[in-house]
Amino acid sequence: MQPATQMWWFTIGRVLATVVAGLGVGWLFGNLGAGLAAALAVHLGWVLANLFRLEWWLRHRNYADPPDVGGVWGEIIAQVVRLHRRKRFHKQRFVQLMRQLQRSTAALPNGVVILNAQREIIWFNRMAAQLLELRSTADLGLRIDNLLREPEFLRYLGRQDYSNPVVIRPTIGEDNYLSLQVAPYGDGQLLLLVSDVSRQMRLEAVRRDFVANASHELRSPLTVISGYLETLGQDPALDPDLAGPVAEMRRQAERMTSIIRDLLELSRLEETDEIVGGAPIDVAALLSLLRKDVLARAVHPHEVRVRVESTAQLIGDDPEIHSAFSNLVDNAAKYTPPEGSIEMRWWTDAEGGHLAVSDTGFGIPSEHIPRLTERFYRVDAGRSRATGGSGLGLAIVKHVLQRHGARLEVQSILGEGSTFTCHFPPERLTRPPVAALTTEPA
Amino acid sequence: METADLSHHISRRFNEDLERVRSKVLGMGGFVEQQLQKAITALVEGDSSLGESVAMDDYQVNNMEVAIDDECSRILATRAPAAGDLRVIVAIIKTITDLERIGDEGEKIGYIASRLATMERPADKYREIKHLGRVVSEMVHDALDAFARMDVESALRVARQDRLVDEEYEAIQRQSITFMMEDPRTIRRALDVMWVVRALERIGDHAKNISEYVIYMVHGKDIRHTSLDDVERELRAGPGTAGAAP
Repeated sequence: MQPATQMWWFTIGRVLATVVAGLGVGWLFGNLGAGLAAALAVHLGWVLANLFRLEWWLRHRNYADPPDVGGVWGEIIAQVVRLHRRKRFHKQRFVQLMRQLQRSTAALPNGVVILNAQREIIWFNRMAAQLLELRSTADLGLRIDNLLREPEFLRYLGRQDYSNPVVIRPTIGEDNYLSLQVAPYGDGQLLLLVSDVSRQMRLEAVRRDFVANASHELRSPLTVISGYLETLGQDPALDPDLAGPVAEMRRQAERMTSIIRDLLELSRLEETDEIVGGAPIDVAALLSLLRKDVLARAVHPHEVRVRVESTAQLIGDDPEIHSAFSNLVDNAAKYTPPEGSIEMRWWTDAEGGHLAVSDTGFGIPSEHIPRLTERFYRVDAGRSRATGGSGLGLAIVKHVLQRHGARLEVQSILGEGSTFTCHFPPERLTRPPVAALTTEPA
Repeated sequence: METADLSHHISRRFNEDLERVRSKVLGMGGFVEQQLQKAITALVEGDSSLGESVAMDDYQVNNMEVAIDDECSRILATRAPAAGDLRVIVAIIKTITDLERIGDEGEKIGYIASRLATMERPADKYREIKHLGRVVSEMVHDALDAFARMDVESALRVARQDRLVDEEYEAIQRQSITFMMEDPRTIRRALDVMWVVRALERIGDHAKNISEYVIYMVHGKDIRHTSLDDVERELRAGPGTAGAAP
């Protein structure tokens, strides 16, 4: 600040000195006006010369060699040089940062593609080029959906819901699977993450096949064992001491059969993740059938209510939906004491169709609820094994619902009972026939 | 590149219309590619339900063709495009016809696959068909990529590959005849296989057609029924002179 003020005083002093000198010369020649004009002209010439040098210097950007001008002009030039130095320093830092960023993203094991709001490719890293067969620079500006044409991906891109990745199988090349996920950011820009999941998919397929084959192979010997146990149990000559153990063996064999049946069912459901189509299912009829099943049990809750509040039918795969609902109702019946009650309720609203199965049973401690749909997950080891469950029921329910675009909600209060609710999206419902009736003339 | 031309339009709406219809064509192409892939897999792996689903889904290809055709007519009627834009529209109308035919051939393969799945499978497990199928799928894929990128070089490469497919077709035909003479019981199956190979060969032709439309779209040159060597020489000699709009 101080040198700048000095500079100003110096400049003003110089102007004053020039004016005084001009006036002095003018007084000598007896013409003060002409002397003043000459002094101002000299000063103006000097200012113009400096301006010219400054402009010339700025135009040629010869920052390393600033013109040597005194006074305020020199100060201005020094400021410009300082500004420029600072800018260059920041620029270099940015360039360095950019390079580091680009190097690190290029080294990522996953593919990254940046898309603008029009889905045009702005940038991609090396792995993305390799996985998606993109050509560097030539493919910039092209729309991603023109190059990546798999119908699953196009559907995913159009759906606007990017919470889960989509797995595609590129039509070209050996059994490859790519997982793609879009993450929107900024002004409608999209980040597309690509990873090769072939290994996981193959492992998954091997595991699925193993479970399916093992279950299938176990079934035949078990049938033989159950058959002989049945004959043995009915043999009047059987030693009465053995009657108890044989009956227990039969029960366990039956349980094993049900586990294997559920395992096979699960592996069949897992084979495809696609949402099944299906035909309209009469939910009211299905629920009254399930009610009869519960009442046919040797020990059952004394009250089983069915409340159907909508005539809308559910579009789905009949055997799968039946299996899912019957698993829910079975669970309710199993864990509710004879003096308790079960209620099945079917209703529809703007959000879709809902089926709730409530019981007044033991309830489930809240820490177990998130893990209920895991295979063989037991809330209480002793209790469920005594009732003969396979431990796979809720896993089946979850898979069936997933295939129908539905989700399961569990609410439970310990000692008061539980409510399992299936939420189906509206497109899974038929138009209720009642609405059709009202449109007809009375 | 020609794609830059597309963005220099006075009317942005027109530009968007063109881009949208182009994307729809490529979306249809993607679906057709997958249908073809599924049909070949169904045949090679003897999966009858997959073959049936391919045959069932062909109606979607037809729907897409009709929708794109309508949109092209609308653009022609309301925008009266000229020069390069007109070529794009003409090329699109032709491309979707070929894509629809590829879909039909895929449907045929799917249908035959579901029938062959119930029969005894040959010892070589349809290795030749698998190989030919891969070549043909790649041709379709590359032709559509060339369409997306407006890439004349790749389009020419696809057109060249058709000769390979024809040779392969001849070879499988000779082999099938030998099988039929050796063991007349295989005639029924061999005839079905011939249908599939014939369908694949036709798909190769359609892919070649699509790549020819790409060259037409970019250079305004109709290269149908001319030797590929001549075409290449001409395109290399004067890319600037090529541009004779219809």
